[in-house]
Amino acid sequence: MFSTLFLHRRKLLLVFGLALASVIASVMVGDAKHWREIDWLDVLGEGGSAVAVAIWMLLILGSRPAGRVTDLLTLGLGFIFLAMWQDNLDEFIRIPAEQWWDAWLESVAMPVGIALLTYGLFHWHSEQLSINRQLAKRERLFREHRFIDGLTQLGRADYLKEQLQLHLNSTRPMTLMMVDINDFSSVNRRFGHREGDRLVREIAELLLLNLRQSDLICRYAGDRFALLLPGTEGEAALQLAQELELAVQHFAFKHSHTGETLYQRISIGLTECRPGDLPARSIERVNQALLTAQRQHGCFLAA
Amino acid sequence: MTMYCGRWYERDERFIAAHHQPALLLDLLLARDISSHKILRGSGLFYEDILTGSHYLSPAQLQQLITNGRKLLPQEDLSFRWGDSLWPGHYGVFSQLLANAPDLERALQALVDYRRFLSPLLVPRIYQDERYCYVQWLDACGLQDERRFMVETAMTGLTAMSRWLAQETLPWRYGFSYAQPEQDEQYQVYLGPDLHFSVGVDVMMIEKHWLQKAWPRGSATAYQVALREAQLLIGEDVAMNGFNEAVYHYLTQQLRAPQSLPEVAQAFAMSPATFKRKLHKHHCHFQQLQDQARLHVCLYLFHINGWTNEQVAHYLNFNDTTNFRRAFKRWSGLTPRDSKQRFLFAAG
Repeated sequence: MFSTLFLHRRKLLLVFGLALASVIASVMVGDAKHWREIDWLDVLGEGGSAVAVAIWMLLILGSRPAGRVTDLLTLGLGFIFLAMWQDNLDEFIRIPAEQWWDAWLESVAMPVGIALLTYGLFHWHSEQLSINRQLAKRERLFREHRFIDGLTQLGRADYLKEQLQLHLNSTRPMTLMMVDINDFSSVNRRFGHREGDRLVREIAELLLLNLRQSDLICRYAGDRFALLLPGTEGEAALQLAQELELAVQHFAFKHSHTGETLYQRISIGLTECRPGDLPARSIERVNQALLTAQRQHGCFLAA
Repeated sequence: MTMYCGRWYERDERFIAAHHQPALLLDLLLARDISSHKILRGSGLFYEDILTGSHYLSPAQLQQLITNGRKLLPQEDLSFRWGDSLWPGHYGVFSQLLANAPDLERALQALVDYRRFLSPLLVPRIYQDERYCYVQWLDACGLQDERRFMVETAMTGLTAMSRWLAQETLPWRYGFSYAQPEQDEQYQVYLGPDLHFSVGVDVMMIEKHWLQKAWPRGSATAYQVALREAQLLIGEDVAMNGFNEAVYHYLTQQLRAPQSLPEVAQAFAMSPATFKRKLHKHHCHFQQLQDQARLHVCLYLFHINGWTNEQVAHYLNFNDTTNFRRAFKRWSGLTPRDSKQRFLFAAG
């Protein structure tokens, strides 16, 4: 919470700075009321409210990233706090009527604060709706079995397309990768499709182990996997592809009955995706890159 | 009146060895932990029957297995996986023929000549022009909803077999009668990038020089021996055409003078009522077969003979080209010009 509050230190300085300034100004221009003149019930009611509003403000700032909605909520609560604070000071200090700023703080800050808070809440509502949408799509990964491939428990091509669309809407560059097991059809022929299935499942696990936390892997179809690498481009992506290639090359897959080791190679096609690309176009490009990679027996990065 | 002189098999004839292609399909489903009684439901078969190695299925029963499989694994690539290891397979002398084929031409010849045993539901037909060899896939006896499944299986089958025997990936191009499916990832992975949908016919094409290129796994001697054995085994009077295929074939030959249903019934030596009943049993209508035959002949004349609209209209005895264009649009959903453009695109 404190590291998040640090993000908002300027807004906090402004609000509490103004509150302190108003105390100093009131002490300077006004004269203190007598102890018996003070209405303690008012102090408790108004002062308590001001403190509560200050706490709300801190809670909101402590739980939210910086942004427009946060600014509006803070400023709104800040103005309300200032108005209540000033109201409360009046209980202790008698300020001459010609001091216009005192009346201004009390009667103008409150409606402005309420207006800003209302406006902020409206935007918070729309923001929450879009977050819900985003969360719903992530949840499908776990709940919507249509999107999960039964053999590898990875997302299917539909899930890939959806995630690709989400990422293409953001501004980060990323790389899309297609990985295909070389001559997989002959594994099925020579050892049967049960061994073929097991190989696909184990290669999926292996690829998964070699990826970063932020990457996504889906089973595209058959023995082809699609990998989404957000925030990765060019050399870094090729480096990752080569690591995957080496990992598979050194993977000693064992035949389940004979125990014979069946070494495999993969081919990898890569393409960089820019914000605004169409998912279908990116997938077409990366499949083309994979065909070139298969001819050259290695990795190929499409322009 | 020309009599139809071939023989045909029907949907309910039991001649498909259960331990051949059906067993492979069954095993793919069993490997996904689906119980055998669910797979065999409605087919009138028992798992024990298949294990005996002497049980035979009808095309309708095999089709029921496909329907069940499709329902049990709706999101799966079952058709492609079945196709991937379908041929040469382990179907006795017919598989030996394929496995020893010295080149693509003779492998295709074996596939066509012994289609009853190698591909009884969806059958291949070969055409050639100066540049290309075309393999057209035809519904033999009323596939209905399973047609797409079988097209996927057969095309994957030929692709995978030719890759396995040639030990390299052959540059096949693919045309499909149906529209592009929403999910075409399996097509990309199992077939390749050269896919063309809504072209009016299910066809694979390849440049002709690939036909004679020697295959490293082939053996001309073993092929000859297997060929002789196959001829001896099946004898002369085994029906090689499915019923739909036979009617379709007859209609394509009579297109210049289109015949009515009673006339075709007579050519098949049955009464119109019996003929209609048989068509109904094989899930098709006379008009539908007639339109399909005309469409395919038009496509052949356009793309293989290179004829113009006028020539084709004249050949098919249309009074004028406007009528012909209208009719063509009805058969294929495309104008002749659109169809030609699609094909030109597909042929590169």
